[in-house]
Amino acid sequence: MRPLPLAIVAFVALAAPAAAQIPTDLVEQRRADLQKQSTAPEWKREGGTQPQDWAYTLPEGVSTRQVTFYVDGGFPLYGKLFLPRGFNARTGKWPAVAVGHGINAISIGIEKYAARFAERGLVAMAIDYRSYGFSESEVSLLEADTSTDARATWERDARVRLKRTDLNNFHEVEDFRAAVSFLQGEPGIDAARIGIWGSSNGGSVVIMVASQDARVKAVVSQVAGVGNRPATGPVAIPPAMLDDSIARARTGQGGEADGGFSFRTKIDAWSNQVNREFRPGAVIDRIPESTRILSIIAEHDELIPAAGAPDAAKAFKGTWQVVVVPYLTHFQMYSSTAFEVGSTLAADWFLKYLQ
Amino acid sequence: MIALIFALVAATQADVTTKDVRFYSEGVQCAGRLYLPKGFSADAKLPGVVLAPGWMQTAASIEKFAAIFAARGLVAMAIDYRGWGKSGGYVYLAEPVQHDDRLRFSQHTARVRIRRKRLVPNDQILDIRNAVAYLQGEPGIDRARVGVWGADMAGGHVVVAAATDARIKAAVAQAPIIDGKDVPRKATLRSPELHAAEVRLARSGTPPAPPAQAAAAPAPPDVETRLALADYHPFWYAEQVPVTTAVLFVVADRDTRVDNTNHAMAAAKVMKGPCGVTVVPNTTHAMSTPKAVDAAADAAASWFLKYL
Repeated sequence: MRPLPLAIVAFVALAAPAAAQIPTDLVEQRRADLQKQSTAPEWKREGGTQPQDWAYTLPEGVSTRQVTFYVDGGFPLYGKLFLPRGFNARTGKWPAVAVGHGINAISIGIEKYAARFAERGLVAMAIDYRSYGFSESEVSLLEADTSTDARATWERDARVRLKRTDLNNFHEVEDFRAAVSFLQGEPGIDAARIGIWGSSNGGSVVIMVASQDARVKAVVSQVAGVGNRPATGPVAIPPAMLDDSIARARTGQGGEADGGFSFRTKIDAWSNQVNREFRPGAVIDRIPESTRILSIIAEHDELIPAAGAPDAAKAFKGTWQVVVVPYLTHFQMYSSTAFEVGSTLAADWFLKYLQ
Repeated sequence: MIALIFALVAATQADVTTKDVRFYSEGVQCAGRLYLPKGFSADAKLPGVVLAPGWMQTAASIEKFAAIFAARGLVAMAIDYRGWGKSGGYVYLAEPVQHDDRLRFSQHTARVRIRRKRLVPNDQILDIRNAVAYLQGEPGIDRARVGVWGADMAGGHVVVAAATDARIKAAVAQAPIIDGKDVPRKATLRSPELHAAEVRLARSGTPPAPPAQAAAAPAPPDVETRLALADYHPFWYAEQVPVTTAVLFVVADRDTRVDNTNHAMAAAKVMKGPCGVTVVPNTTHAMSTPKAVDAAADAAASWFLKYL
């Protein structure tokens, strides 16, 4: 993919006046290391991150706690809280960030971002979306549903089928919002100072969350680019998808497709269609100006359109800064110098706007 | 009751038959009743219409319309939403079950919780769309000629469905509630009461108190429903209905439940494609008198026959 033209990079400065921006000197300071990373054989990342990229040392003073939170009427989701040094629910209130992964990935792949944020004094919670990682599975009955309107809730043992990795960006938005709700009610967290971080597909999801949920004061969207095109009607349904949707409606399950990069698992074929309907770029104007957005993008991102983040930032009347990390490709952003730069700038953003 | 007898008689006279079917909406077993016109066969290529009930209603409340559509030559499918009537409910695991992402599908015996009578507008829209898919695959139906009909809140649902689903070729919204015209299109904070409820729901897996039985007047909804409604603005989708989709609004001239000016009439103004408004005289929101049913069903059936 062609690198970003200088013109776009310069133009982007208009989407966030100087006082609203965070300094990006770090990018210049680490430019030589970034260039080295981009060509070093051991940091080549085509098609995904590697297990070594997910490993990290828990920073001194940071503690963790696993939690369960709920979405969509009682569906359990997994979260891992990272608490900063000195965190004490009885004596103070801290800002908090929900941290969500990319397509078909899982929370353990991005925990290290939450750890870094906690190291900088934020509470952070790494989450798994429903049917991913440590979160619960989608469940359907393998026998007849005998419940009736006589009662609102029925409980019993039943033969069930569980389904994993059911990709659905609309669900991911709800999962993020449930994470925000959970954090707001957590002792020691300041409900008025909540942010969200998402990368890759998660980086698109957080923009949609911002368009729906005014509680989110700061957003960091990494290696994503939602663009700014209006939704003028339904998206087309290719014939194969039409057939698949008929199979889903008539049998309960359609076909599958390959999904994911770092974690290679299948998804429902229909998920690709659902996610085509997911258009955060069409609702930039619904994001309140009290929400501040930072996009961190890779100069040579092979998956994300280069103009996506700048175009979206331009359309937003509030503060939306775009930082380009030079030399690097999509998956290189998760490791080595690029991770240092990306996680530091993200933390800088949250610390600036969750004060 | 009289309307039901009238419709059944009319339907019988026209040799309409019914077939109870199961369709799946997001994995949940749902119930639909097909009303098939005289002479229907699996070799036919007839147009089809999905009929969606109003708020807290079941398919039984709209079957008289389905019967009339079938008498006019349409295949009509009256549905129950997830969690209502003869459809199954929302299924939740009541205990954790071990799993691994590398094995997408697995089978177990597990304790489950099934929740019924949930009211989630976006889920009801999905139920409608999944019923459309079901109908498209039904032998005897022309998959290129499928429409949707909805009453009350479902009148708003079908506007959203038409705006977001390329399979829908025509829609009829009866006594529709289409909220959102004057709501600023910007994310806003909830009331302190709703916000507190939202936090509570995320931190506890216990379902809130269920809504009261369906009544003529809207019952005070539970907090989960209120939260869902606070985010639901079907009017915002009206302008996205494509120019190729025909939408009819059928309104009651004495509707005290919804202000037609700011709902149906306003939505009609922004339709890009063929659009109509039928005002049914001397009737209220429920449109339950035989004359009102006749007039409303007639207008809708004619619309579908013309545009499907």
